[in-house]
Amino acid sequence: MAAGAAPRPARRGGRREGGSNGPRREAAPGLVSVMESVEAVARTLLSFGRLSRGLPFGRAHGLSSRDPLLPLAPRSQENADPQRTAFLLRKQWTLYSVTPLYRFSNAHLRDYARLLSAFIAAEKQKGLAVEVGVELDIKVAVSSLPYLKGSDQDQAAILVQLSSRSPASPKNSEEKLIWSGWFCCVSGDNLSKNVPEDFTCLPLFLVNGAECYTSIVGSWFQKTFDCSFRRLAISPLILSWMAAMWTGCKVDKTASAMELVFSVPCLPQPLDISYAIHPEDAKALWDTVQKTPGEIIQEEVDVFMDCLYSHFHRHFRIHLSATKLVKVSTAIASAHCDGIIKVRF
Amino acid sequence: MDETVAEYIRRTVLKIPRDEIKTMLEKWGLLSETQLQTINFRQIKESISQDVVQLCEENSVDIKQAAVLDIIYNHVYPNKRVWCVYQMKKTGEEAEFFDLTDFKKKFKGRLRSALKNVTINFREYEDNAIWIRIAWGTPYTKPNQYKPSYVVYHSQTPYVFISASVLKSNLPLLCQALVLASNYHDIREMELRSHSLNSLKDIVFKRYSQNFQTHYPRPLQERNVAPKSADLRIIQENRNEKERIERVNREVFGDGPQPKLEFAQYKLETMFKSDPQMDVLDKKEPFRCLVKFSSPHLLESLKSLAPAGMADAPISPLLTCIPQKARNYFKIREKKHFFPESFVSP
Repeated sequence: MAAGAAPRPARRGGRREGGSNGPRREAAPGLVSVMESVEAVARTLLSFGRLSRGLPFGRAHGLSSRDPLLPLAPRSQENADPQRTAFLLRKQWTLYSVTPLYRFSNAHLRDYARLLSAFIAAEKQKGLAVEVGVELDIKVAVSSLPYLKGSDQDQAAILVQLSSRSPASPKNSEEKLIWSGWFCCVSGDNLSKNVPEDFTCLPLFLVNGAECYTSIVGSWFQKTFDCSFRRLAISPLILSWMAAMWTGCKVDKTASAMELVFSVPCLPQPLDISYAIHPEDAKALWDTVQKTPGEIIQEEVDVFMDCLYSHFHRHFRIHLSATKLVKVSTAIASAHCDGIIKVRF
Repeated sequence: MDETVAEYIRRTVLKIPRDEIKTMLEKWGLLSETQLQTINFRQIKESISQDVVQLCEENSVDIKQAAVLDIIYNHVYPNKRVWCVYQMKKTGEEAEFFDLTDFKKKFKGRLRSALKNVTINFREYEDNAIWIRIAWGTPYTKPNQYKPSYVVYHSQTPYVFISASVLKSNLPLLCQALVLASNYHDIREMELRSHSLNSLKDIVFKRYSQNFQTHYPRPLQERNVAPKSADLRIIQENRNEKERIERVNREVFGDGPQPKLEFAQYKLETMFKSDPQMDVLDKKEPFRCLVKFSSPHLLESLKSLAPAGMADAPISPLLTCIPQKARNYFKIREKKHFFPESFVSP
């Protein structure tokens, strides 16, 4: 890897510039940090699949030095303009893990949209309360997002969007997006080899919108492709990764604090601890911990967290490592152990 | 009777749990015994409140009388509000005789001259507590009865407990009026806040059992030890350490029940220190953090941390000092000292 390299390496997989050293782009600072953050978030969201399944990453775990970038970067680096990843932003995403889909085909997305639309209409007629007191015309769109995937072997992400138009409003009035869900795959080479024919691997499902629509869409996918959905919990280990990764992103002066929330439920009286660090100070600490630009390794995350824990222990003599990390929050995004990620900007 | 008064009475009654309504109305005393007997207290609250309003109409109840019902409700359920503690200071040492009439007159006078439109109610309780309810208006608008401030003043002490309404702009005026009326010179806000009014009183009046250093070991039989299993196959490892932790924990927290607080907040402006071998951050500026602890019963929760193995025993004095220092909001800076481990909180 070339030191002080060209601002945007064109190689597949891209490079994460976690530190802020060196001149990087000529673009306006505001645009730069938005772009970086979009990358960081897209990368993060896609990494969950991998991280959640405990798949190895990090130099310490022996990934080939040819592609030391970790966690996996989406191909979004190459051709994602902010427009196409805009749907990710300023939203809260609930995470599910999905078993492989049987006989799913990218060629039939339009048909799927049609069938799902009919399914939703039927559910409404059956009287399932979709939205109380509101008569809505629901339109379904299913599209492929070829630029959101971990590696070439992965399936392209699939986006399902529900929009509505009130029947009272004129025909060509704008439709309002009421629900989004997207399936994606980030396993890279490992999983694709083992997947039997006829199965499509899209193990991560992210949802934004009302629970009633989530269950309808989920039921349809379950019936149609014989798959099953399960809420994905985010472990403290992964939350720490998120915290470290997002802390390293450059943010402006008015950024909110980096906050870690711990819970100690099994006491006679439960206790919650919120530990918020000034974003500049948190980033300064992370920048000294993260030694190799373009990589994050497990040891660095451990050191970062240990530093924060020991600073806390110095004051309060409480071992935060014995408590449960339930939420991490930075200016860019926040993640909760119940499998909820909020993209903040 | 004004319909705004009727509506206010209706809403106040609705706040009260159904089983308590009769008792509170009796305490209120605005409705006669015969009138109260006409109300069916078993019906739904909406109907009860309408009956009450009807009877108040007959008695031509005014807003000031209606406000008394609100005080009674808040006196029984103070924990629905957040209370802040203020301490007044006087320069002279003489304990002046407290004249309640004079206090009320001066207090009302100060507020009315500034705002013209205020509803002020006083109610005295047994423990020398004076409850004051203030509904705030302006020279041009009527008082907002739905966002009153409450003040609890124990006249024999310099302490005032204030549950400010959302209208924080009236706080300086309120403080002024208190100082003037009670013949003090100054008032300052203590960094102590909680929902539990009684716990705040326990803390500032030192009514909780305080921790103290024992210079003799307490015999273990004194303690109410839970009967251990008679099964000899179960042995407790680290028994000595466990007992040391229990003992030290009780020393720093005291034996009695802890005052009930819901949160503590620490603004840390201390230096970040690490093992030099780790080669991490070594800045000359403070590592700025904000730490918030919250729990339904914070002090009991903190007390249970060391025995649960999550904290060292003794736990940090930053936490155990909360009742003695009578504060739960702290700003911690590095002490400029040989021993940078110690902290000072201004």
